[in-house]
Amino acid sequence: MENRLLHTPEGVRDIYNSECERKQVLQDRLFSVLKQYGYQAIETPTFEYFDVFSREVGTTASKELFKFFDREGNTLVMRPDFTPSIARSAAKYYHDEDMPIRFGYMGNTYINHHSLQGRLKETTQLGAELIGDDSVSADAEIVAMMIRCLKTAGLKEFQVSIGHIDFFKGLIEEAKLEEEVELELRELISNKNHFGVEELLAEHNIPEDVKTCLEKMPELFGSIDVLKEAKKIVCNEKSKASIERLEAIYEALKVYGVEDYITFDLGMVSKYKYYTGVIFKAYTYGVGEALITGGRYNSLLKHFGKDSAAIGCVLLVNQLMAALSRQKIGIPTEKNTVLLVCDGDNETEAVKHAEELRSKGEKVAVLRRNEKSLEECKEYADRNGFAKILHLDKNGCTEM
Amino acid sequence: MRYLTFALGKGRLAKTTLEMFEKIGITCEEMKDKDSRKLIFVNEELKLKFFLAKGPDVPTYVEYGAADIGIVGKDTILEEGRKMHEVLDLGFGKCKMCVCGPAEAKELLQHHELIRVATKYPNIAKDYFYNKKHQTVEIVKLNGSIELAPIVGLSEVIVDIVETGTTLKENGLTVLEEVCPLSARMVVNQVSMKMENERITKIINDLKGIL
Repeated sequence: MENRLLHTPEGVRDIYNSECERKQVLQDRLFSVLKQYGYQAIETPTFEYFDVFSREVGTTASKELFKFFDREGNTLVMRPDFTPSIARSAAKYYHDEDMPIRFGYMGNTYINHHSLQGRLKETTQLGAELIGDDSVSADAEIVAMMIRCLKTAGLKEFQVSIGHIDFFKGLIEEAKLEEEVELELRELISNKNHFGVEELLAEHNIPEDVKTCLEKMPELFGSIDVLKEAKKIVCNEKSKASIERLEAIYEALKVYGVEDYITFDLGMVSKYKYYTGVIFKAYTYGVGEALITGGRYNSLLKHFGKDSAAIGCVLLVNQLMAALSRQKIGIPTEKNTVLLVCDGDNETEAVKHAEELRSKGEKVAVLRRNEKSLEECKEYADRNGFAKILHLDKNGCTEM
Repeated sequence: MRYLTFALGKGRLAKTTLEMFEKIGITCEEMKDKDSRKLIFVNEELKLKFFLAKGPDVPTYVEYGAADIGIVGKDTILEEGRKMHEVLDLGFGKCKMCVCGPAEAKELLQHHELIRVATKYPNIAKDYFYNKKHQTVEIVKLNGSIELAPIVGLSEVIVDIVETGTTLKENGLTVLEEVCPLSARMVVNQVSMKMENERITKIINDLKGIL
């Protein structure tokens, strides 16, 4: 029989002991990377009005949002991601700022996935948003910073795949397809379903050269050569400009010395309408999904009343933890907490001694051993990750 | 080199797939041993692993990256709706997803009436009736012998795979509407597609060559 007092609801879990330690160390290290790039920490509420995450701006289907009502009957939503919240605050507090603003955040997000899919409903995200800068350097900065995050975490084999939504948009404008067909085509291209694309395009009357380009899209991914290849076959200005932008980003990334991690994928046509420029994802071995997703969304802030360019990205901390453990990459945690064991009658002395050590910067926990043997105390210390044991008795303090 | 892992849908699908793979030089001798109780079969030379899974589970293995590549029917892909790349139509196992029932039930499909539909594929059935036909229906999920449902009065029509139509005919049922054509597909995990691009693309191109 299920014991409701002991179990957590489906999709959420406790993180404790060494795993928690590792997660916090990892989070600190990742966040300090954002700080190194001058990103300011920001916290937004865990829940907001539904409209902030509604269909026009959101990345999560309404049925997958955790919703509830406030006393006035407004629908509230547990945040499924941070970007709309950050866009809202930027529009509110930095409305008149016309120079770049940098935000970094970390926190938990909530998505009500279907049951029995082995997915957590509460996950930790770390992300950054660079608002008010539409330049190639901004694109490169975000990508390079994310690469540094992954390297800082200890990953060695990973790949960042970059695409640009305008390559597809340019072709669609040329092809003059209806919205419904466009959506279907997006889905097929992002699934790399080459024959599906061919089938769908055969049903529509599209200029031959555009058709060839669209049919080629599921295969346009790989090294920088892909851009050259794409340039050869595409005619419209918009798509051409998007390739030039990607080439410029690649050059800018060389300055950071991270070009080895970069690949391109012109078939990455995210389902989310809010992306307006570059889109990128980072992959590694051991997890079946992208670790990082990001892109430029120059029209999102307008939704909240500030017309400003923006680029952002998010790193899924839980996925990164999983990847690290599957690739057997450790997260170096400090093991230096002292267990100060006293016999019971000398507790006052022990507390005094502990306070003294703490003021010197040591981490100390006091244990009254009562009738427990010293051997048992030692086992207890091992179980709970203490680095050393001090035993305090009449003769003073001795290390065990 | 890392192992590339294949998840194959159990049964005829797996058999035909392995025959195709053999033609492009991908073999797995271990798998030919019928008495083997092994769950995972390895080709050490090419660094490949194979395992058999129940059809509907193949997309799950592929989505989570437990398998890099999967071979599975289009029906399962549509029904499971998982996030993964569908890269190749293998061209075998061709059949159709259809709405079937007694001939007189055709009338019930014309006027947006609320009817009962029995099926093993609730998502496909729902998508077809709601989004394509704009007809509200009650869906009854069954796990096999779907043809029984209209005969014993559990539902008015069924949505099921039709290959030859013999079972239907013997039970006085006919195809009323076609939902979509089906065949075996190769699916690839989105991360594997990027991280193992060269090896996977080679397999895809080799297979295209013999289709």
